[in-house]
Amino acid sequence: MRSQKTRWLIYGLLFIAIIISYSITIQLKVTPSPFVKKTFEYMEHLPPQSVIIISFDHEASSLPEIKPIAQIMLRHVFRQNIRVIGMSLFAEGTAIGYDMLTKAAREFGKTYGEDYLFLGFKPQYISAILGMGESIRRIFPEDYLGNRVDSIPLMKNIDNYNSIAMVISIADGDRAVQWIEYAGARYDQKVIAGLTAAMITTYDPYLNSGQLYSLVGGLRGAAEYESLYGKLGGGNRGLLAQSVAHFFIIILIIVGNIIYFKNRMQSKGMK
Amino acid sequence: MRNKLPLIICLISGLIMFLQYFSKHPVSRAVYSSILDWWQIIFAFTLLVGAAAFVKVSLKGLQKKGEGKYKAIALAGVVVMPILAIIGGNKLGSPFLWVFENIQAPMQSTVFSLLAFFVASAAYRGFRARTIPAAILLISALFVLLGRIPISEYFSEWFTRIMFWIQDYPSMAARRAILIGIGLGSLTTAMRVILGIERTYMRGE
Amino acid sequence: MEIGAIIAGLLTLAIYSFLYKDNPVYKAAESLLIGLSIGYALVIFWQSTIVDLLVKPLFGEGKLILAMPFVLGLLMFSRFSQKTSWLSRIPIAFMIGAGAGVSIPAMLYARTLKQVSASVAPLFNESGALNLSEMVIVIGLISTLSYFYFSRKNEGAIGKVAKVGTYFLMIFFGATFGYTVMSRLSTLIGRVEFLLTDFLHVIK
Repeated sequence: MRSQKTRWLIYGLLFIAIIISYSITIQLKVTPSPFVKKTFEYMEHLPPQSVIIISFDHEASSLPEIKPIAQIMLRHVFRQNIRVIGMSLFAEGTAIGYDMLTKAAREFGKTYGEDYLFLGFKPQYISAILGMGESIRRIFPEDYLGNRVDSIPLMKNIDNYNSIAMVISIADGDRAVQWIEYAGARYDQKVIAGLTAAMITTYDPYLNSGQLYSLVGGLRGAAEYESLYGKLGGGNRGLLAQSVAHFFIIILIIVGNIIYFKNRMQSKGMK
Repeated sequence: MRNKLPLIICLISGLIMFLQYFSKHPVSRAVYSSILDWWQIIFAFTLLVGAAAFVKVSLKGLQKKGEGKYKAIALAGVVVMPILAIIGGNKLGSPFLWVFENIQAPMQSTVFSLLAFFVASAAYRGFRARTIPAAILLISALFVLLGRIPISEYFSEWFTRIMFWIQDYPSMAARRAILIGIGLGSLTTAMRVILGIERTYMRGE
Repeated sequence: MEIGAIIAGLLTLAIYSFLYKDNPVYKAAESLLIGLSIGYALVIFWQSTIVDLLVKPLFGEGKLILAMPFVLGLLMFSRFSQKTSWLSRIPIAFMIGAGAGVSIPAMLYARTLKQVSASVAPLFNESGALNLSEMVIVIGLISTLSYFYFSRKNEGAIGKVAKVGTYFLMIFFGATFGYTVMSRLSTLIGRVEFLLTDFLHVIK
């Protein structure tokens, strides 16, 4: 029962710490990390009308972390007049991707079919990634809204990765790995990943080897991107709460260890 | 027949998909593209089978005392989404997307966010420097926790620098070793599967 | 207040009630989530694959070759009968074989050779001097791999190298734990943001 109460106390304190720190409007300054800068610079220098694929390879569960990353990257590409082909290799990413892409496009007055389109979802990801290297319209004969891909102006001269400048996989798992290992290795397709923080270390070897062009990771990555973009949003809003929550966890670890060592010394003393 | 036919099919599809990697011949590309299409279609059927199995199990559970009402709720959820999609389509503003955005997605994120509480509890209870490896793990975690928040940058940029070094060198090296290990393991497993030595997929009918 | 936000807010609280203890409200919300997720996936799978890649080309455009994957797909349903369930091995074997075939070059080239090359190539800089940080990677890689070398017992020199490998692994696990904590907290912050802004309107 005592351990149950301790657990409730920890839950309660964490919840209160986040509520209070989120309610305080202090804007923290973030220094963009090298890979976020690299991503931003890439988009800045990509010629207008270039075509990129943004694949929403995540589930709804990671939405609070993924959304700020996807939103700021979408805003940036539309500001740069880059054309976007949206798609998803996760069923839940389909509705989310379509929603975010459409809202960002409307914000910038973009036209569906000319400046952007959403292809929808394919369940077998390896088959889809490899198949798109041969023919995108073969894998996606129709877009998410049921239009024939052949009739969409944006797809006029696009049939495979040869016309795609970059694939951005917004992922909460290892789907971006498949983009790297199949589209990257076989078709020389450049890949950028927008990831949840938990996945960052998984992708470090690919970044180091150059197989992954760059990445934007977690809420912090979104905040860094927003600061480079010049308009703060969802990433920056949670920074203070994130800092306070980190300190809370660190304090828990320290207190837990103090109690552990104290008990160990006491039991040694008794022996 | 029951064992040989699947093994032969596995061998053929595996060999074709392996060998086509080295060929740019139009026939090879056409066969490759066709197999990719077929793979996609068959894979979609696996979900249909999964959904049918879920409905079957839930229907059985309807009569169970206590559990029945929860099974009914789950079944209602399975039925309601296709109905909404048939009635209103899947465009922005459709009832189908409305339910996804206002019911399914928030619940999904909330379930996932429960992990934050459990992680906090685990940090207090289990994250102890009992041994040297455990202490190393703890220090590495602390550097990441401190190095990735903006407040630490106000005190010293060294937290961030050390954190990035840890991430880019020793941590990355270990992850790379795991990756290579998985790569070599997957490679040999793939060969064993194609040659019919590895047959675990034949079980569990 | 928007009805969607009210429903989402109430369901969020229903899920959080699990933190106190398992209860009927949580169980009901959980069951609803499972059902909706399957229903949603059914719609998306049906529309994006079965209709787009099978029904329309096969029955609308007459691409008869697609009858093959159609039949193979239907064989998956044989699992529901004990007598016929062996038939489901055929489509499974097809998919497993195809997956194994395409994964061989990917695993060999993209996952193994590229990673080895990225570890060794930058070891010496252009002037021929040893790069110490890159040396850390090579030591970490070799020692961690020797930890996973199970063909003989981790004793003697191999044992010592493997022990160094465990330290590298601990650094990786620690860093991953740190990032995972960060990730989970971000998700919680996202939900708190929703509760305070869209649901309770405490913050604008």
